[in-house]
Formats: sequence, C-alpha cells, structure tokens
Amino acid sequence: MAMTMSQKRSTFSVFRYFVLTIWLLIVAFPMFWMVGTSFKPDKEWFAWPPVYITENATMRNYLIVWANINEYTKADGAHIDEKTGELSQYTQSLQRPWVALRNSTIIAGIATTFAVLFGGVLAYGVSRHNIISEGKMFQLLMLRMVPPIVLIAPISLWYRQIGLLDTITGLVLLYFLTSLPYAVWMCKSFIDEVPREMEQAAEILGASRWRTIWEIVLPLVRSGLVATFLFILILTWSEYLLALLLSKAEVLTLPVELSKYQGSTEGRVYGRQAALSVGITIPLIFVGLIIRKHLARGFSFGMVRR
Amino acid sequence: MSRIELKDLRKEFGSVVAVKDLNLTIEDGEFIVLVGPSGCGKTTTLRMIAGFEDPTAGEIKLDGSIVNDLEPRDRDLGMVFQSHALFPHKNVADNIVFGLRMKNVGKEEQLQKLQEVSDLVRISHLLTKMPAQCSGGESQRIALARTLVTEPSNFLLDEPLSSLDAKLRRELRAECDRLHAELQKTFVYVTHDQEEAMTLADRIVVMDQGVIVQMGSPIDIYSDPVSYFVADFFGNPAMNLIPGEFVQNGSGIEFKSDQFNVPLNEKFSSVPIGSGTFGIRPENVKVVSSSNGSDRKIGLVEPLGKDTLLYFETDSDRPFVAVVDGTENHTAGSPVELNFPQENIFLFDSNGDRIRA
Repeated sequence: MAMTMSQKRSTFSVFRYFVLTIWLLIVAFPMFWMVGTSFKPDKEWFAWPPVYITENATMRNYLIVWANINEYTKADGAHIDEKTGELSQYTQSLQRPWVALRNSTIIAGIATTFAVLFGGVLAYGVSRHNIISEGKMFQLLMLRMVPPIVLIAPISLWYRQIGLLDTITGLVLLYFLTSLPYAVWMCKSFIDEVPREMEQAAEILGASRWRTIWEIVLPLVRSGLVATFLFILILTWSEYLLALLLSKAEVLTLPVELSKYQGSTEGRVYGRQAALSVGITIPLIFVGLIIRKHLARGFSFGMVRR
Repeated sequence: MSRIELKDLRKEFGSVVAVKDLNLTIEDGEFIVLVGPSGCGKTTTLRMIAGFEDPTAGEIKLDGSIVNDLEPRDRDLGMVFQSHALFPHKNVADNIVFGLRMKNVGKEEQLQKLQEVSDLVRISHLLTKMPAQCSGGESQRIALARTLVTEPSNFLLDEPLSSLDAKLRRELRAECDRLHAELQKTFVYVTHDQEEAMTLADRIVVMDQGVIVQMGSPIDIYSDPVSYFVADFFGNPAMNLIPGEFVQNGSGIEFKSDQFNVPLNEKFSSVPIGSGTFGIRPENVKVVSSSNGSDRKIGLVEPLGKDTLLYFETDSDRPFVAVVDGTENHTAGSPVELNFPQENIFLFDSNGDRIRA
C-alpha cells in the first residue's frame, strides 16, 4: 500500500532525527570523554577495557591543576629540588593555569573585539562602497590559507627586532590580523543582507550616515556580528602554534599550557589535561550561553525579510 | 512653491549612458509620471533627483537653486521605494515617526502627527504591529505614511505598486490620486505600467534609452503618439502595428502588406514611398460581417462583458486585434471585413518616427 503524505513525512522525520542523533553522539563524545577523564583517578586514564563512567570519581585532577594543591609529588613525575625541597623551575612552569587563563582572556578578548570592530567597518565599506574589489577580497581570504608555520620564522625574527616577541601586544596584533579576513567576510555577508534601500529610506527621512548605521544597519546585523565574534573568539582562544612559537616564558596561553602537561616518567598526564581542558572550555560555553539568542539567527545567515 | 528643474542631466555607469542630457521642468503641485520599459533611465533620473546618484553632468534645481551637491536629507523630499524599505526591527508607529525623530520634533507633536497621518492612509489599526506582520498593501500604506508625516514639498515614488497584485494596485492607485488631490504637493512617480501612468498623471514623460521620447497629458500621449515606440507602449490592448510598404497607386498612396491593403486618402499624399508601419487602435477598427465571401476570418473571440476582443491571425507573432461592443454577436471562424477610418490611422516610417499627414 502506498504511503500517504503524512506517513512519508513522519518517516522522513524519524530518519532525520536518527541521523542527527548519530551526529550528536559523534560530536559530543570527545566532550564526554574529556569531562569523564577529568574526574578519573590516575589508574583509569589508560585502563583497558576503557572506563566510561568512573566509579571512583575524584577532584584530585582539578585540585592539582587549578588550586595548586601540592599532592603533586614525586610520584606524579615532579622534580623536587633536593637542596631546598621545593618544586623545581620546570615543574613550577607547569603550574600557571591562572596566568594562562588571564593571558588567553586578554589576548583572545582584545584581538577578537578589534577584529570584529575593524572587520565590521571594513565590511560596511566593501558592501556599500566597494572599497575593496572582489578580487582583493578573495586575496584577503587567501591570506588565511597560508599555513602559519610558513610565517613563523620571519615573524619571530621581526618580532624580536621590534621587541614584540613574547609580549601580549605581539600576540594580540597577530591574532587580530589573522582573523581580520574572516571578520570582513562574515560581516560583509550580513551587511549585504540589509537592503541598500532601507538605508536610503532612513537617509531621505533625515538621518545622518552615523544615525543610519546606528539605528538601521547595526540592529539588523547585530546577530551576525555576535556570531562572528564567537567564531573568531573560538579560533583565537584555541590557537596553539603561534602562541607556542612567539612566546617563551612570559606570555603563556591556555593551549600552550595544556601541552605542557606531560610528566617525564609517565608520559602525558591525561587527567590533568582533561581538568585543564574543562576549564578552557567553560568560558567559551559561558560566552555562548550569554549570546545564544543571537546565534541561531546569526549562524543561519540572513534575517531580513525581503 | 516647489519646482524641480532638470537641465542637461546625464548619468553614465562606466560606458553605459543611462540618462542622456535630459531636460525637464516639473511644476509645483504637478503629478508627473516617468514611464518606460526597464532600463530606460526613469529610475536613475528619480534617484538623481533624490540625491542617491550623482549626475555625470547637468544640473538639478529645486526652487531655483542647484542641489547637485546637497545630501538627500537636505533636499526637502520624500521617497517611497518599490521594496517599501520599512525598518523590520521597528514597529509600525516607530517606522512612521522615524523621520520626525530625526528632525527633532517633540514627542507630543510626533504622536499627534502619527494619529493624523495614520488616519489619512487608514492604518490606525496597525500601529503596534511589526512590518513583517503586515501585508504587501498595508506595508505600502505604511511606507506612504512614513513619507507623508515629514511633510516634504516633493514626493518621489519609485514603482511603489509594482510588487502588489492587480486588485491592490488599483486600490492604492486611487489612494495616490486622492492623496495628491488632498495634499497639493508635487509627485514624481516612476512606473513601467502604462495604465498607472495614464490614470495618475497630470503629465506623462515617456522615456526610452535614456532620453525623453514624448511628454504630454495622458490623452495627448494616447491620441497623438510621436513614434512607433510610444504608440506601442500605451493602450491596452495595444495598437495594431503592421509592418509593410507605402506604394504609389495611381494618384494616391496605398499601404501594402501581405494581409492588408489600405488605400490612404489625399491627406496622406505626402507619405514617402518605401517601407513603414501602419497603425490603428483596436477600438477604431470597424468590423463588418461579410456576405460576399471575404477571406478574413475571426481567429478567436474574447468576450469581456462590455466589450468583446476579436483576434485575427497575422504573419507576425502579434495578432491583429479589434474591439467591438459586447452586444455584437461574433463567432470564431466567421468571415468579416475590417474597415479603417482614415482619421484614426497612424503611420510610421522605417525609423519608427510618426509620419504626419
């Protein structure tokens, strides 16, 4: 018997949710594993068969990583200075997550804010006045295609010369510049959605250019700007290579800090890394929650009814 | 007093000349309609008056002073756009008072004017809605209200009705007419719809390829077109235009095509010999039932009630149309004779220019 329309539709719907559920599992599993591992005692990190949900949940990883509770003994692979009895320089450098968090917040926050600000202004110019030709716009995007490793050598030499190596300013500048193309492209796509006639209507009703942008364009692209902000924030927040190579000791960011969690005797200390990772992820989730009402609109591109 | 003068106005986009040295004076209180096919330069002309396009050359004068370098907001204009261009994030009332706010009008006066204007265009019941909740016709009324409320001396309307369906279009057309009569302001209206032009305009400006082809009252344009283009553009159903040749026939001139041979009377004696076009409006064609076996047969009968349209097949892709009274009885396939009263004949030369008797 042939299926009716509504049967067909509900079959399709079941199929769709089935596929989406599988996709969700694939995407969510690493998150689940990260959170799970962060609560596991040392022995369960490598256990086989794997421990999915630990029965011996412990806060130890968090305490060691974030509260610097000194259960971090020789058994964990720390070097104790035999003369003074204090943790050696090497191990101390392992334990600056709050410094890294502060640095990451400052660097990613400032770089992203500036990228979206400048990107938005540039995008407006491109969208309305073609200040950058289409070809140039693609070249701009191509800049992002260059593998960062290619740029590292010249930039670090140059940074050393002008004293930006291992400074917050240096990383902010670089992050700002590398995310600017994304910002311009994303913002442009949102501004393009606002019909020119809408601005002209405001203009002829007596609004100045700034007033028009403030009252008409900005409210209509706000969601887009917020989506752009989050997108770039995630990129800069988790950037590793540039941060690793352009900072030595002073400017430690969270991804770099994360990579330092390995002991010399037992290899990677996964539980500590997981505990740090959870800490790295929470601010992003928090930002996402604050701006969530904009995200659905922003990421679906285009909200203006034509 | 408000008078718009365009002097040698020209606009080029790269190598394309959109408007070619246009001269036009629009008098105070006049309802003028710029009409023509798309790409004829009518919208560009309007946008230059508004100040959204900079003229390549020429002058725009409002009340005698040149405004070429004035910002749109300083030109004392109101404009209604084809897309309505309502602000989707503001409710209807906020949309309407936007212009007043920009001009720093006090809150109380804003409210009072909002009341007045929404009564005028009959949208008082919509004020708290968002634009997305309003229909196309309502949106256009709101757009009108938003423009009206600032009381500009001149109204520019850029195909304001073309996104609406036929019934709404007629309704709002009447509205435009009423508003113009009530406000006594200058209206410059752009459309590609000849019917809108005919019904609304005090004066029609017909444009084609960036130049003004003809200017005049609707009835002038209709009854005395200067060219094939104008003749073809105005009137529904359109004028019958038959390509053929003017030949000498004894002492007189005759129009000859494959299907029509029309002797022309002595007032056309100066018509140059050669190819050209013969034109007659469908309502002027006299249809006579034939008894002597004419080979002209009615192709299709389209009764409209008051009138009936008769279609005759031709060699070209446009049929020959005659309009007869709805009470006359015709059937498809029956033989008829067609007569063309000499006073209703239009002749055009091979360039499309009108040949005057």
